[in-house]
Amino acid sequence: MRLTRNTNLLVEPPSVATGDIAFNLIVFFLVCASTQPDSGRKQNIPKSESKEEQKQQSENIEVTLDRTGAAINGVRAAPVDFVPKLRRLLSTKTRPEDKIVVVKSSKDTPYHHWIAVTGMIDEAGGIVTLQLEEERTVMAP
Amino acid sequence: MKIARKKMRVEIPNVAMGDIAFNLLIFFVILARAQDDSHLKWEAAASAKVEAADNAKVSVLVDKDNKLYLNGRNVGESALAKEIESLLGTAPPGERIVLLKIHKETQAQRFEPIIEAVSEAGGDLVHVLEEKERTP
Repeated sequence: MRLTRNTNLLVEPPSVATGDIAFNLIVFFLVCASTQPDSGRKQNIPKSESKEEQKQQSENIEVTLDRTGAAINGVRAAPVDFVPKLRRLLSTKTRPEDKIVVVKSSKDTPYHHWIAVTGMIDEAGGIVTLQLEEERTVMAP
Repeated sequence: MKIARKKMRVEIPNVAMGDIAFNLLIFFVILARAQDDSHLKWEAAASAKVEAADNAKVSVLVDKDNKLYLNGRNVGESALAKEIESLLGTAPPGERIVLLKIHKETQAQRFEPIIEAVSEAGGDLVHVLEEKERTP
């Protein structure tokens, strides 16, 4: 009787490579995490001007914001009416500089409300510009 | 007759190389995270229409505590315009993107001067927002 020799050797994966595998996995997840892009909205805001130059823009549409609402040229507008009303007003303006909409916000206007309203101004075809109140310190004699 | 002494071979264990690389990587990841603004706490405002923003050199952030950060570094509002200008340098239009990350509850008296400072520095403003989920 002939005995057959068992030639199947035990093959183990080299444990030396474990560290390298972990390294490559981390690099992979790191690259995945760092390429997540930010999303948002572009906005072109004209540079600030002096008071004299602002006098020339007196015919621009003015949007006033407070904590919860918005008004176009002093008349309060509901969110659903805002875009059609502003679009109607802008349609009468032909020059690009007349399409500038001056946004005046009360101090307590939250950012999310400001973003919603300026988004609607963009949608209606207006160009947003800000009007800020200047604070001046007066030295008493 | 001299009997030759058996020489012992001393080798650096290769097994440790992966672990060393792993630790180095963690070190640099932590270092990099400290320089960006991903560790700051803020909530983006929602908008129906958002688009992917390009890569930006400059990021301005106002967190939940109303603190102002420029590229993850706490700065004052008065120095913001000049610092943005120096970071943007002579970059041409289109490469002067400034990401504006403002916490949604921040009030106008805080964020409007920041927007003005970005505009003054000649930056292309991009508001970082999250997409509003549309109801069917």
